[in-house]
Formats: sequence, structure tokens, C-alpha cells
Amino acid sequence: MEIEAGRTGRAARPDTPVLEARGLEVHYGDDHALQPTTVDIPQKQVTAIIGPSGCGKSTFLRSINRMNDLIDVARVEGELRFRGKNVYDEDVDPVALRRRIGMVFQKPNPFPKSIRENVAYGLNVQGKEVTDEAVETALRRAALWEEVEGKLDSSGLDLSGGQQQRLCIARAIAPDPEVILMDEPASALDPIATSKVEDLIDDLAEEYTVVIVTHNMQQAARISDKTAVFLTGGELVEFGDTNEVFENPEHQAVEDYITGKFG
Amino acid sequence: MARTEYQRRLEALREEVLRMGEVVRERLDIALRALAERNEELGREVIERDAEVNELYLDLERECMDLIALQQPVAGDLRFVTASFKIITDLERIADLATNLGEYAGRAKHEIYPDIDVIHIGERATEALAEAMTAYADEDVTTCYEIARRDDGIDDLCERASELVIRDLIDTEGNNAETERLFSEVSRLLLAVRDLERVGDHAVNIAARTLYMIESDDELIY
Repeated sequence: MEIEAGRTGRAARPDTPVLEARGLEVHYGDDHALQPTTVDIPQKQVTAIIGPSGCGKSTFLRSINRMNDLIDVARVEGELRFRGKNVYDEDVDPVALRRRIGMVFQKPNPFPKSIRENVAYGLNVQGKEVTDEAVETALRRAALWEEVEGKLDSSGLDLSGGQQQRLCIARAIAPDPEVILMDEPASALDPIATSKVEDLIDDLAEEYTVVIVTHNMQQAARISDKTAVFLTGGELVEFGDTNEVFENPEHQAVEDYITGKFG
Repeated sequence: MARTEYQRRLEALREEVLRMGEVVRERLDIALRALAERNEELGREVIERDAEVNELYLDLERECMDLIALQQPVAGDLRFVTASFKIITDLERIADLATNLGEYAGRAKHEIYPDIDVIHIGERATEALAEAMTAYADEDVTTCYEIARRDDGIDDLCERASELVIRDLIDTEGNNAETERLFSEVSRLLLAVRDLERVGDHAVNIAARTLYMIESDDELIY
């Protein structure tokens, strides 16, 4: 039997950076939420971001597709390059950016509309034609098609929590983005729904770059190729192959955090 | 310090592995004494009490599995649990080898080969085991390398001893009765030498896993 290094076959792929943070830092008023951060996020892999509450991990995630723009007191410095282009350049339209870098949130938040309309929204924002085929493709990619086929006109809110989250993922991938950001996408789900979302993330990484914030370290270990560890004070302390981070971290502070000796 | 119960169980595992190391070393000491004194009764004691070691082994194996399944150790903790898991296997094997020595006690005729100091070989192997367990307890990298280096000396002694005996057997070629007589007298001695060499190898395995546990260095693993 041949045992591949790393968790998935993807580990063997070369790391081609699709997102490059260069001295990226975020202040919320007087709060220095993200210290200057420099890191390369590789294409078509799953990168997990872990760390204690208030460590800046969600701030970092939200700064990737300029969600922090929506917060008045937020101030961003440094660069976040997407395919080499700084997303904070003046000529970048944040709405267009978010079509290419989609987001899935902690709590499933489908619109109070039909399943079809939820997915159609994702297609509309991209200016794509809403066809039955496009809706089906998005739902298939989100591993939801078989469960909702035949009831596309019923409300998205009638689905179970896990199905709602996969519907939100279908909506996020309908515009065919390159990157999907996920902010604790399974923390409100039961173990079975969580497993389905984790399997889905694994599948998604075949076509998309996935960056996921999670409080669940075992989940990060299970599903990611790369792991970034932020510690209190908004500092990225370690970034590396997930198996390295969980088996032999470079920094004592990371070791203490992941083994539970922190604080 | 968070996860207090988990930390307590890790510490308890360390203490129990060390205790198993003590028990196994004691068995090896008794087996060697039985061999030196040709004391069949002592030898039998080692054989009969092997079940205690097996029980310790199974308890510790279960505890390692529980820790992995229920606590999901990572990083240094993971290396500690997996190293301990491997080390108890080596300890259990050493105890088995001690029972072999116990079995040879009454029958290994080392006095016809005064040049082969099987007890000296045994003491060196026992010392290697004791030091490997101390390295595990103290997380001592230097000693791990030392044990691996000194094992070559044990191997040399064993090889020379075997050569000596086998050469004599070859010299009796053509005289089947003589070969038969010599072989019946020295076969246990040969087996004892081979088993002690393996005790040394298991001590090196323990040192290798300890080194990996301490600094993720797999240099001594095979």
C-alpha cells in the first residue's frame, strides 16, 4: 500500500499562491485587531485558520474579500493580493470582488424564499442567466441536489440546519467564485450535518480555494491542507502543512494552544 | 493550565510506562541470575510471572487507545502517546525474551565456553534498557544516541560468541556423534546470546522512539 504524505492527494500539488497577504493589518478604532500579517494562501487547497476567541482569525478572513469595509471604524493597512492585485487598490470594486471571493457564514442564512430563488440570487449577482441547469449544477456541487430535487419551489427555511448551510454554500458557489471563505460553517450543525459539510469542503477544494475559520481544532486537522494559527493579540504565529502543525509545531505557544495548555 | 484531567492522565501514563520498565528490568535481572546460577526454580519464576507483564501491557495499550480516541492528543502530546504505545510493545517483548532465558537457565552450558561471558552481555543489555527508560523519563536526547552507539558493542560481543561456537561445530564436521553432543550442550547458550542481543535491540528501539517523542527526530528509527 502506498501512503501519501499529507491528508489528501492535494498535498502533493505545488503551492501556487492565490491570496498573498503582505503586512496586512486591521484596526477597529483603537483596537489593533490584526497585527501585520504576511502569508500565502495556496490555490485549490483547504486552509484552516485556528486560534482562541479574539485572536484576529475572523478579522483576517473578512479582510480577504473586504467585508471589513462594512464596519465604519475598521482601518486596513498593508496589502492583500488576489491573483497579484491588491484588493484594497482604489480601482477595485468590492462587490465584484465578493463575486470572485464568496463567503459562507456561521449561521445558515438562506433568504426567506424558495430553494431555487436562493441559488438564483447567486447566479444573478454574477449576471448569469438563471437556468434550471445552472441551479442544478450549483446544488449538485453543494451536495444538496438529491435531497431537494423535486421541491425547488419550497422555502429554503423549511430545510434542516445542515441542508440550509449547504444551500448557502450552493448560493456562494453559484457565481463560480475562485475562493470560498467560510466562517465556522459547521459550528451550528449536529455531527451528521457537520460530516456532510466537511465532505463537501473536501470536494469543493478540487475546484476552489477554501479558507475556513474554525473553533474546532479536530475539524481543522481533519479537513485542511494548510493551517494558520493566530494567537491572542491578532498575531499569525504559525502557518504550515496541517500535519506538521498538529504533529510538530514550530512554536511553543502553538504547541501549548493546540494541546490545551494555553492560558 | 487547562484540561487538567487530560494532563493528569498523560502524567499517569508516563508513570505507568516507567513502572512497566522497572518490572521488566527486574524480570531480566532475575532471568540472568537464574542463568548464571543455573537455577531452574528462579527461571520458572520468570516464566510464571510473565502474565503480570502481559496484563500491564494490555492495560497500557488500552489507556493509549483511550487517550487517542477520547482526548485527541496533538503535537508533543501525540508524540508522547504514540512513543509510549510503541515502547510498551518493546518492553513486553523484552519480558518474553526474559522468559526464554528463564527456560534456558538449567540447561545452558556456558562453562564449556569460559570465554563467552553471557552474564556480562546480559548486564550490558539490561543497562541499555535501564538507560533507555531513564532517557524516556528525563527526555534526554544525548542518552538516546549513546544507547544506539553502544549497542554496536553488544552486537559485536554476541557475534564473536556465536562465531566461536559455530566454528567448533563446523570443526566436528564428519563426526556426527560429536556434532550432536556439542550442539545439544551449546544450543541453549547460542539462543541465550541471540535473545540478549535482541534485548539490546529493543532498548535501542525504546531510545529511538524516545528521541522521536522529544524532538520529532526519526534518525534512530531503523
